[in-house]
Amino acid sequence: MTVGETFTWLRRAGPIARVTPQTWQRIAIACLFGAAILFPIAHRNDGDIDAAANALTFAALALGLNIVVGLAGLLDLGYAAFFAIGAYTYGAAASWQITPDWSSFWEPFQWLGFVSRFHEAGGDVVHFHVSFWLMMPIAAALTAFFGVLFGFPTLRLKGDYLAIVTLGFGEIVPIIARNTPSVTNGAMGLNGVAAPQLFGWSFGVDATPYYYVGLALVAFLILTSQRLKFSRIGRAWMAIREDEVAAAAMGVNRTKMKLLAFATGAAFAGATGTLLVAKLQTATPEMFGFPVSVMILVMIVFGGIGSVWGVVVGALILQMLQSWFLQDLSGWLHALGRLTHVEWLQRIELASSIELIFGLILVFMMLYRRDGLIPATRRVAPLTIEEQVAAPTRGGFEGLEGLGAIDERREGPLLEIAGLTVRFGGLVALRSVSLSVPAHSVLAVIGPNGSGKSTLFNAVTGLVSADEGKIRFAGAEITGLPPHVVLERGIARTFQNLRLFPNLTVLENVLIGMHARLETGAVEALLRLPRTRREEHAAREHAMEILAVFGNRLVPRADHVVASLSYANRRRVEIARALASQPKLLLLDEPTAGMNPAETLELADQIKSLNRLGLSIVLIEHKLDVVVNLASQVIVLDHGEKIAEGSPAEVRRDDEVIRAYLGRSAALA
Amino acid sequence: MIDPVLLQQVINGLSLGAMYALLALGFTLVYGILELINFAHFNVFMVSSFVGMWALELLGISGQSHVLTGFALVGALAFAFAVTMLAAGVLGVAIERIALRPLRNVRGTAAMITTIGVSYILFNVILLTAGAGSQNFPNPMPVMRWDIGGATLQLREVLIWSITLLLMIALHLFVNRTRLGKAMRATAQDAEAARMMGIDVDRVVVIAFFLGSALAGAAALIFGLYYNFTSFIIGYTAGLRAFTAAVLGGIGSVTGAMVGGVLIGLIESLGGHFFATRWADVIIFSILILVLVFVPSGLFGRAAATRA
Amino acid sequence: MLQFRNVDTHYGDLHVLKAVDYRIEEGEIVCLLGGNASGKSTTMKTIMGVVLPSRGDVVFEGKSLTGVSIAERVRRGIAPVLEARRLFPRMTVYENLEMGAYIRSRGPEFDEDLQRVFALFPRVEERLKQLAGTLSGGEQQMVAIGRALMARPKLLCMDEPSMGLSPVFVEQVFDIIQTINRQGTTIFMVEQNANMALSIADRAYVLQTGQVVLSGAAGELRQNPMIREAYLGEMKVE
Repeated sequence: MTVGETFTWLRRAGPIARVTPQTWQRIAIACLFGAAILFPIAHRNDGDIDAAANALTFAALALGLNIVVGLAGLLDLGYAAFFAIGAYTYGAAASWQITPDWSSFWEPFQWLGFVSRFHEAGGDVVHFHVSFWLMMPIAAALTAFFGVLFGFPTLRLKGDYLAIVTLGFGEIVPIIARNTPSVTNGAMGLNGVAAPQLFGWSFGVDATPYYYVGLALVAFLILTSQRLKFSRIGRAWMAIREDEVAAAAMGVNRTKMKLLAFATGAAFAGATGTLLVAKLQTATPEMFGFPVSVMILVMIVFGGIGSVWGVVVGALILQMLQSWFLQDLSGWLHALGRLTHVEWLQRIELASSIELIFGLILVFMMLYRRDGLIPATRRVAPLTIEEQVAAPTRGGFEGLEGLGAIDERREGPLLEIAGLTVRFGGLVALRSVSLSVPAHSVLAVIGPNGSGKSTLFNAVTGLVSADEGKIRFAGAEITGLPPHVVLERGIARTFQNLRLFPNLTVLENVLIGMHARLETGAVEALLRLPRTRREEHAAREHAMEILAVFGNRLVPRADHVVASLSYANRRRVEIARALASQPKLLLLDEPTAGMNPAETLELADQIKSLNRLGLSIVLIEHKLDVVVNLASQVIVLDHGEKIAEGSPAEVRRDDEVIRAYLGRSAALA
Repeated sequence: MIDPVLLQQVINGLSLGAMYALLALGFTLVYGILELINFAHFNVFMVSSFVGMWALELLGISGQSHVLTGFALVGALAFAFAVTMLAAGVLGVAIERIALRPLRNVRGTAAMITTIGVSYILFNVILLTAGAGSQNFPNPMPVMRWDIGGATLQLREVLIWSITLLLMIALHLFVNRTRLGKAMRATAQDAEAARMMGIDVDRVVVIAFFLGSALAGAAALIFGLYYNFTSFIIGYTAGLRAFTAAVLGGIGSVTGAMVGGVLIGLIESLGGHFFATRWADVIIFSILILVLVFVPSGLFGRAAATRA
Repeated sequence: MLQFRNVDTHYGDLHVLKAVDYRIEEGEIVCLLGGNASGKSTTMKTIMGVVLPSRGDVVFEGKSLTGVSIAERVRRGIAPVLEARRLFPRMTVYENLEMGAYIRSRGPEFDEDLQRVFALFPRVEERLKQLAGTLSGGEQQMVAIGRALMARPKLLCMDEPSMGLSPVFVEQVFDIIQTINRQGTTIFMVEQNANMALSIADRAYVLQTGQVVLSGAAGELRQNPMIREAYLGEMKVE
């Protein structure tokens, strides 16, 4: 047998076949880290280790920017500003830069070891030397604070405007650094930053200890990124990235989550800034300018936006390119130039054209491989024939555990709308509409195009503000509440034109529906406490249960990216997502659009089952047979006004309704 | 009487403003149609100033000592403007075709990020070929001065104002009186309806890029003639101000670009009088951020900067 | 003049039009009726070339429109009056009319057509210098029709001309449509207001979820009770 055949045989047979891909992954990662740890011991060139340490620094920064841009979708063009803040924070706290006069105020700090008294000609001064290990988390926290401060007024801006504003911020910080020499020593660089000390031993100028700290930092940040990404928080971020409005409608508090992403990214940069300054023992404003922000952006675009390992690999490769490869390549080109007697080849210095190369890489990747080197979306195994075929079934389903307490037989209507008026500029979309949805009932809203049906849903769920009128749900007023709060109260919806999170899987889409019902916060996600793991596990089980409502249409596709599903299946996913939020009231906007008659009937039965479980439903529908089948009450809207109300049979015969649909007759014959 | 120093600053401010207005105008033309923030625009400006420099040197003019008058002057300037604006326009169109058209239908900020990349490429190509130093810009204009209320008005200022005014009038006429210009406005207002009228939207985009870049080219030559130097960094420095001008006036609004440009020019000139120049950038960036956060539509714009 | 032969269209994997056949003879007024989400707008877009059929053929004056650009279709004589008008809001009425004639050269014909539009819509002539966005709905509709007429079309495609208009304007608009037809333009109209449309049309098709469920002479269809069912989405189809 050849080597190849042996290998294939080994892979298929025996113990190797039983090793899961996950285990392979773990082995690979372990080997990688092992190699990384052994690297400085095996290869004793301090210059190379120094370059590697720098590369790790940028890998850490790439991880931070990946959270902001890759996960949450917030384009930050001034990320280096956070890097600067972290650096100068440590610089201020552990260097000769700031030396106030000595006074008794400083004595307790001296006792704690943060400062020492230094005798100078003009009098005694304070020398700050807070421990590096203490400053790293403090700098991270301080930077995160600045992130929140800056993010608060700006994160509501849309994509390209946010980018401009962050670019501005990214430029202002180094300029301030350059122009406040008392704190930063301006362009000359911080004075005598203290090297870290570990058990009395100072790091000195040798690159190796910094390499290991960098490695540890990167490992920690990778762990943090992964833990956050695959948690409730990471899903919320990605939901915001994919479709902010839908995310809000599914219970994600956008402001809070965006600030969290921004702060987390800032913290990563702050910690890394501390490391870099400690290593260089100085910091100059040039180290934190726009080119640095762009470089980190190029790294994550190159590596794979959103992919944790991707951005690490991207950062390492580009840094290596800059420090090693380009110089070697220049050497070869010089030799080539000498060989061919071409003048400029002999003079070329590729290392100084690194920025040009970055620009070329950025343009190239954007045009030809936007996913990056290691794309964030995974490939899944193709489905078997059985999994692909799903015949429509009638009869609905029996139970759905964990749908939540649906108010047992409550008195009074569940949803009351009184005098609702919505205007868009001069256009009146809804005019003084009133309706009442009894608990556990199905109400249908019908009407010709443009009659205001979707606007009604938008007003109830807070996507659109009501100009007049009141909306009460379960006895409490909800007019004007933001969408994610409305979801928390128990109203979930689907959208007429489908608003799924296209690059996320079916399962992830449904899990985001649960966002408001789960409790894991960022810290818990990071620590991955048993409680968190239990909650994740239970959430996934519940999500699969909900998917199972649709037979085997969605279950085999749970790990498929939603964009690859058929139109009808996408509609089902959207309903599943809404169900995941354990609503009391479900608003369905044309749920059967795009389905053939058999599928329509199947879905109608499923909706009926949901109603029998206690769920109240308001339905926008065009197919009157569905309406007749499901609804106990029908409301007809036309031109924003309610023109008829009653049972389906009554409404069908109503002249006004017919006139609304078919139009007023002409005066002529 | 007005303080002569103040008057001088106003004159300087108007000249700067004219240049920023042209640069902002070009930028806003593209935004109006594609809603794209084209970072590369400002380095097209920078590259064009080098083209302008070479054009003048081609005529044998170098440095400030070679002075022309009368028809020779007009001819030389006309040549320089023509060459620079044409080169800038072609560069702009090339960028659109190669780097931006493939991304026309990709939602989100992908196209904008690409313009950052292109901007980087232009910046570094010039840096690597022409070096980091300031280049002496040829200036064939004779030095003629007039005294106005204690302040000095030079020929170069008169020239800048007249050329800028000329270009703005030409643009106004093009956009409001010609078929193609109206097609551009129509596309900016409703691209799909424009398509249904038989308007070739792709061609309109190309024209917008050409015109916008040509205006940047004109601004670049003006920059060189005014300051007598150029360097690889001017795309950043002047660009930042022009960009802020466009945002202040309202991105997408032609009037806004003009008014914003003049305002920023005046702010820079008068502000430099009161603040140290090293804070100039911070002030400009702060204006940018404040406008976007509090008045995103600027003075004349309509765009909504926030999400639902 | 215009024919749809077994046309299918898709939106992603959503099957919008299903094996649709239409026939419009020269000089007719044909209207396309149907409830919501029936495929009426898609039909219009397919004629204009904004949407391309995934199967089947659209034929105009004997020549297939497959691969023909939108601009070329306008040149060949098809002009649209768009749903919700979609005038260029910050251009004047006159400029909007000019845009309608974009693909044509300026000359005496242009002026003739302009006069024709003024004759049909005196209000439009009054408001020539006004910005289109400031006009009322009914006035906008007149400008929109005028804008389409400036292309001197053989076939005028109207997408829901009565949408958003007060009853008074609706009557006026439908009167004008008849006048235009009498002057020699073939009209293909998508409408939700079946009653008004059938009162001026020669023939009609009724769509329901992408399939033609009824067709025939307008007079007959008006009496047909099945129209109501089709609109209310109740008709049973195979």
